[in-house]
Amino acid sequence: MGLMDQVELPQPVKYVFNWGRKYSLWCFNFGLACCAIEFIAASTSRHDFIRHGVIPFAHGPRQADLLVVSGTLTDKMAPAVKRLYEEMPEPKYVISFGSCANCGGPYWDSYSVTKGVDQIIPVDVYVPGCPPRPEALLDGIIALQDRIQHESLKDRIAGRRLDPVTLGADAPLALEGR
Amino acid sequence: MSGVLARRDRALTPEETEELLRDRLGDGVRNSLQEFGIFTVWIAQDSWSEAARRCRDEPLLAYDMFDHLTAVDAREHGFDVLVVLYSTSTGNRIVLRTRCEGGREAPTCPSITETYRGANWMEREAYDMFGIDFPGHPSLEPRLLTVENFEGYPLRKDFHLTSRAAKPWPGVAEPKELDEEGNVIEKEARIGDAPGPYELDKAMAEQAKLANPLPEPETVEGEIAEELAEDAQVAPDSGEVLAGTGEQAAETLEKQATEQAAADADAETQGSAQAARAKAEQRRQEQVAARARKAAERADPGSGGAAADGIDQETFDRLIAEGKSERIARSKAKAAYIKRQRAEQRAAEGEDDGGEQDA
Repeated sequence: MGLMDQVELPQPVKYVFNWGRKYSLWCFNFGLACCAIEFIAASTSRHDFIRHGVIPFAHGPRQADLLVVSGTLTDKMAPAVKRLYEEMPEPKYVISFGSCANCGGPYWDSYSVTKGVDQIIPVDVYVPGCPPRPEALLDGIIALQDRIQHESLKDRIAGRRLDPVTLGADAPLALEGR
Repeated sequence: MSGVLARRDRALTPEETEELLRDRLGDGVRNSLQEFGIFTVWIAQDSWSEAARRCRDEPLLAYDMFDHLTAVDAREHGFDVLVVLYSTSTGNRIVLRTRCEGGREAPTCPSITETYRGANWMEREAYDMFGIDFPGHPSLEPRLLTVENFEGYPLRKDFHLTSRAAKPWPGVAEPKELDEEGNVIEKEARIGDAPGPYELDKAMAEQAKLANPLPEPETVEGEIAEELAEDAQVAPDSGEVLAGTGEQAAETLEKQATEQAAADADAETQGSAQAARAKAEQRRQEQVAARARKAAERADPGSGGAAADGIDQETFDRLIAEGKSERIARSKAKAAYIKRQRAEQRAAEGEDDGGEQDA
């Protein structure tokens, strides 16, 4: 990345830069269960997250900025998710969509289900629900964009991440003290 | 497969099928039963592969389609393997079932992948889930469904879920729910009890509650309604009866409000938005002023008009000035009036605990 990871950008440049980044999120959908259907619903014309600048169905993980893990992640599948996440270029973001991806959900006592995707990859936004409605995903995307707008790319590249946002549990964005 | 396929109209009955298999396999056929429209034949372990082959190759049987293979935990007897076969020509379906050798420790069952190649992954699944070994199978490893280093066989009855060791399963069997002391909870689900998280859900739940008279109102309007109900009891003491002029006035005011709303709507639908909106705004202001005037007139003539009407005039005027509708202002003013009256009563009657509950 050269300069980006060494110098903190001046505020106006940073603003414009982050503004550009947050409205062109190429999204890689890791659809694993019924939540993937809700993801698809969110991408189609009724909810249409493309109007928020999220571009669904990136050609592959190497072209993606945002990974949406939607569905039940099993121990058998976990290495694949980890590998694809590692193939994504920095800066990369992860939305954990649905109870199964958050914590195992109804499969909390299963012998084969990973109890949350955050056990293998870092997560930026948790969207609760079983499955969450498409509006919830839109909420999650907006929370993520808010985070991108205010973050320092230098910190991000250095691996310093902010604490993840949990929709519904954390304070609304407007009340977050900044 | 060789020979002419069986025909649907010459399909063997289950009895004939069993007879044929007994003829071919001898003691290999242990037993047969028909339950729930399913014909099951118990096969001895030694004849398992032979039975599958016969079922496929006998022209009269012609079970050419392998449906699925699975296993059953038979507890102290070990494990059963069963295979479901279908004949596309006769339309018959058969279940072959055998008990594994080796008990619970090392169950084994001959593979039928030689006969039905589709059984390959099914046997791998049975191996993963029950730990049954299939001699003759091309390769049971690597494990198909579980991770490589997985310990135990999850579909065995004696498999323990580690998560449940840390935290017991919190659920209860439906429809009987038990409380902490083990008593059956008798509760009747009511419409509108559990609205969803969204505004629309809540609105729909509210409507459902309104349609269903049983639940008690919990909204602010509900409180006002309660206050009004109490007001109706208080009213006879306070001189003028509520059913008289008060309600009539309320009715005319309501009518007026609806007329105004209709006029506003008309004005807004007439295109040329700005002019219409300005006109509507002007009319609204006029209405507000008129309402205030009327209220003042009504309050003035009778001595202590507000008290007679049973509303708190100050609150009423304030709400009208704020542009609230006549009805809301009226009911709120009424509630305020009752509160004040009660406070006065309490102050008059109880000296010791008079100030305990003031509005």
